[in-house]
Amino acid sequence: MIELQDVTFVHQNGVRALDGVSLKIDSGETVGIVGENGAGKTTLVKHVTGLLKPTSGKVLVDGKSTGETSTAQLSRKVGVAFQNPDHQLFSESVEEEMAFALRNFGFPAELVEQRVTWGLGLFGLEEYRKSSPLVLSGGEKKRLTLACILAWDPEVVILDEPTVGQDSIQKEKLAGTIRMLASSGKTVVVVSHDIEFLWPVQPRVVVMKAGRIVGDGPASRIMQDRDILDSARVAQPQLVEFYQSLRARPGKPFVDPLDARRWLEGGGGK
Amino acid sequence: MMWLSQGFIFRRGTSVYHRIDPRVKLLISVLLFVTVLLVRSLYELTGILVFMVTIAAVATVLRRVARTMAFTALFSAFIFVLNFVFTRNAETSLLYAARFIAIVVSTSLFFITTSPDELEQVMKTFRLPRDVIFAFVTAVRFIPVMFLDTIQIMDAQKSRGLELEKGNVIRRVRNMIPVLIPLVVNSVVRSGELAEAMESRAYGAVARPTSLVEYKSSLSDRAVAIAAVVMFALTAYSFYYILPSAVL
Repeated sequence: MIELQDVTFVHQNGVRALDGVSLKIDSGETVGIVGENGAGKTTLVKHVTGLLKPTSGKVLVDGKSTGETSTAQLSRKVGVAFQNPDHQLFSESVEEEMAFALRNFGFPAELVEQRVTWGLGLFGLEEYRKSSPLVLSGGEKKRLTLACILAWDPEVVILDEPTVGQDSIQKEKLAGTIRMLASSGKTVVVVSHDIEFLWPVQPRVVVMKAGRIVGDGPASRIMQDRDILDSARVAQPQLVEFYQSLRARPGKPFVDPLDARRWLEGGGGK
Repeated sequence: MMWLSQGFIFRRGTSVYHRIDPRVKLLISVLLFVTVLLVRSLYELTGILVFMVTIAAVATVLRRVARTMAFTALFSAFIFVLNFVFTRNAETSLLYAARFIAIVVSTSLFFITTSPDELEQVMKTFRLPRDVIFAFVTAVRFIPVMFLDTIQIMDAQKSRGLELEKGNVIRRVRNMIPVLIPLVVNSVVRSGELAEAMESRAYGAVARPTSLVEYKSSLSDRAVAIAAVVMFALTAYSFYYILPSAVL
């Protein structure tokens, strides 16, 4: 579905944002891309949507080079919800905002209405249907941008930092949406710093550092590999850290949770 | 677009020209600007442009100045066509068009080698009201941010199927609405947040706040300023009393 072949991207100021990245994402896969700021995660995603063209190497979506297709055409297959929702909201009402892309793709009016209603319902935004998207809270705006993308049912859904500004309940809902998309056969790519969010989703995890891929594998393996995570300056999920600490602890089980806390605060297991 | 914008945005440099007192750099740019207005033939203008390109080379901003020229070439071509239609004189039209490029280069030489902090100090020497200085310098500081915003907004809208490069002129202008609205809204929100942040850090608490950096012209700065004034006087004199080749 998505293939990056030895992709290098150098910015005009000479910064090498991607350095020989090769990655293959199959149809229906759920992939989490993690790494510290400036690791090249968003640059990689922008190559998949054709917004950036590689300095060298090739990016293929469905076997077609992104260099031969416009971003607008590619977006029918690849939907991206960018980090900052304020960069896309402009319409007079929430429903108009959702209908924008659908009209760009030439959806018939009935289907537009149907998809808008579905998207608003999925993200709990029905009550704001006629409101201006500009007056929504940060979290609601973020949800609206996700709804806008899912409305046209792209084959690949890319979420760039989807948990920013979301409370824990919304994060859980979002994780549920990702699982739902995955189970319906969509290819889902989540770019996130939020390891705690990615862990329960259990995606294939790609770890990036300084424009290179330094780790790639199932979450259960990568999240336990401290060497890879530390080198990419990515924190381990608390649950995994706790589990590893417990496993390394000799002796009897804890009597109460405070015992466990004291033991961990004393550097237990490390 | 980003490529072109680089021709107008300040980036720190270590060249001799960057190190000149910003007030002297302003003086040089003003004198170049006036000289360009005094020019009466293409030969004279070519000489001034070569001089400006030399300054750009010394300041190691030649490539960025070239971008400035590329950006203004479109407007310049428009000026040429408009003049040619009304005057039917190719040389005069070319002079006006080239003069426009030279004017932009003279001002961009100042802006791309002067940091917003230096700009603030320059404005302070003219004893302008503090609020005016702050508003102007903040606007300059936010130009690169707005360019970045524009690109990110365009990316976001293109990812929703918006074809910015398709259709006739009217269609293209209409297609810019989804880009312009978020840009304006973001700017208004950002300015409100900035005002709150400034007030919470005691902006306006005293009438005459102190400054972290006080500029003092060195001997070499004064020498450069005097040399610039002398060169300007000699050039202006030569335009009117020595060089006869005027087309105006």
